[in-house]
Amino acid sequence: MRQGFRGFSWLRSPRAVMAALAAALVCIAGGVYATNYSLWINGRTGGGQPGNHADFTYWGPSSTAAGVNKISVNWDGYNRISDQNYRIRDALDCYCTGTNWCYVAAHSAGNLQIGYALSLYGSTARYKKNATPSSAGVCGNTDGSTQTGWNIKWVDVAAGAAGGSELADVGSWAVSDPLTADLKTSTARAMYDHNQTRAKWFYMYAGAKGTLYSAVLPGQDDEAVAYHSAGGVSGSGGAGFCNPSDWFCNDLKLGTAANEGGRAKWAYHSVIFRDDTESFNHYTNGNWGGVVSKVRADMAANAN
Amino acid sequence: MARRKVILIASATLALAALGWYLAAAQVDTASGDAGAGGGTAINPTGAAAAAASAANATGGRGPFSAAGLQARQEQLALWRGRYERSEQVYASYRDATRYPHTSRPISEHPDQVRPFDPVSEEKVLRNAKGDAVKGLRLRTTQERVFLSGAETVKFTIEALDDAGQAQPMVVTSAAAQSLPETRTPVALIQTGVEFSDRGTGADEVANDGKYSARLHPAQQGFAGYAGTIRLLAQVSVKGEAGVAHFDVVYTPEVPATWAGVREALEAGALNFYLKVNVVRPGRYVASARVDDAHGVPFALLQFNDEVAAGAREFKLTLFGALVRDRSPAFPLRLRDVDGFLLIPDTFPDRAMMARQSGVVHTSASYAIDRFSPAEWSSEERERYLAEYSRDAETARAQLQRLQGP
Repeated sequence: MRQGFRGFSWLRSPRAVMAALAAALVCIAGGVYATNYSLWINGRTGGGQPGNHADFTYWGPSSTAAGVNKISVNWDGYNRISDQNYRIRDALDCYCTGTNWCYVAAHSAGNLQIGYALSLYGSTARYKKNATPSSAGVCGNTDGSTQTGWNIKWVDVAAGAAGGSELADVGSWAVSDPLTADLKTSTARAMYDHNQTRAKWFYMYAGAKGTLYSAVLPGQDDEAVAYHSAGGVSGSGGAGFCNPSDWFCNDLKLGTAANEGGRAKWAYHSVIFRDDTESFNHYTNGNWGGVVSKVRADMAANAN
Repeated sequence: MARRKVILIASATLALAALGWYLAAAQVDTASGDAGAGGGTAINPTGAAAAAASAANATGGRGPFSAAGLQARQEQLALWRGRYERSEQVYASYRDATRYPHTSRPISEHPDQVRPFDPVSEEKVLRNAKGDAVKGLRLRTTQERVFLSGAETVKFTIEALDDAGQAQPMVVTSAAAQSLPETRTPVALIQTGVEFSDRGTGADEVANDGKYSARLHPAQQGFAGYAGTIRLLAQVSVKGEAGVAHFDVVYTPEVPATWAGVREALEAGALNFYLKVNVVRPGRYVASARVDDAHGVPFALLQFNDEVAAGAREFKLTLFGALVRDRSPAFPLRLRDVDGFLLIPDTFPDRAMMARQSGVVHTSASYAIDRFSPAEWSSEERERYLAEYSRDAETARAQLQRLQGP
């Protein structure tokens, strides 16, 4: 007789069967079963209700495919990165610990949020959570044990603002929300070591359908951030990077290669999409629009 | 007995149904992936493949050898080929990267951390007070630092350029620094005048070179009790065009800890630098230091991030053995440009800076290379990641193989 058949002998014991079933149900209810999630981290202005992981107002219809088990990591998009970052860490704790793993998608200042969390808190001990959030976006512990950092497979970034935006200088944005000060290029780039992703890949998607602020944003831009930021270019802000068709400006290179002129990208940052036809702007328009559409497509295809 | 069997069967059915529902729900969101339309250049084709696969899936019910069935198969193949390539790349990259711990890295991986104390230099279009760009003129600015604490000061410079990069005559007509309110509640502002000069005195190094300089002493200029952003606006005039240069620094009056020397120890095949610290305020400290070889060639970046109690403590910076073995730097090594801060969670400012230690702060002894361990980094975190990435790659490979057929 094969070992496999003998293995089911415990089925003869009603008590054992009940115990196994109970354990299975506890595992399901408690999120012990390994599950993948797709976390979406919004940018400036917010729109969704902070702490409500089902509110996709910032992005578009929640019925749209955007990766397995999609979660909306709503923060207010108004206050400082540092005083809102707990929202991101809470969500990472909820869905990206224990046996659960995450894909992360970020837009604009959401890039600063995930970069900040990984660089400054990525080595900290995290309680393993049960993926069942309260209305405040906080989950309960599973068994009280901890792990180092979070379980993140990779990060997609649309119109990343981790390098800041020249529009955050005085005058371009009429409002003076605290977040705008964080988006000043010198401040955003000094906030944390952008190379420290703990070897997780940041796949960068850069749009170039910008005209309104082309005199202020250097090189190609999507109307809110320039290629130097959306392309994950290291060093100071203010440098212009463009599509290859522009002969008078250094090219933003695809992949991890250093850009024309020699400026390197941050470590573990790879430009996946460069908007050579200048078709994608910064804005979701409440319908997964702009360059976010490219990230959404990638998440739908590969966050499985 | 019969009743017990009925209960058992009912319970089992319920549990299996719940499990089935749970697994189905987890998959439902990926079943309808599609690609964004539009041009551009991308280096990952899997999005488009998914769109096609989704469309083909929607034609369910057709035979596997019909034209639609064959197309669907090709699209699935493209989708899984993309997933396989990505998962393989992610796995191999992580495996190679984590040969050394995240806190002991080749400095080539951190290009903008090699010279952390160089001034932040930016070039931006000249903008008037309304924020409108002034055509053909640019401002090149530098600021010595963004974050500072206690008695630290910060130097700023401004110069004007045309679009060809040629210096243009410029005058700083006025400049002032003020606190930046963080709340919607009205608060009293702190303001102070700042003097930019091109006379070769004070903060200005060279007279009449067109580069204006100023130094801000927050603690001496009214900000001693303030924690937050200080915004400096300098009004400039370039070729008759008025404009403004804009600087932000983040200041905290508190100095949370002070440096007290360095010691080193070769332990377990790695060279540990212990930064001695007198901690006034306990909490999570973040510190970093650079290691140059004996010829002054930048070699490694070492980082520290941990909870530290008050009192005389040490930040342990490890130069990992395999990194030394792989790169064979010339000894003695030089530890330089050390910075550190107390990370304060969930607030702004989120840090209180320790004083910068600029230049070489410690020179190591010389060690034979074979005293360093060639073993790669091992940790629960690394094993966890490699296992998961490996599973993903294997799943994608198996799926690809299945689709490719015998």
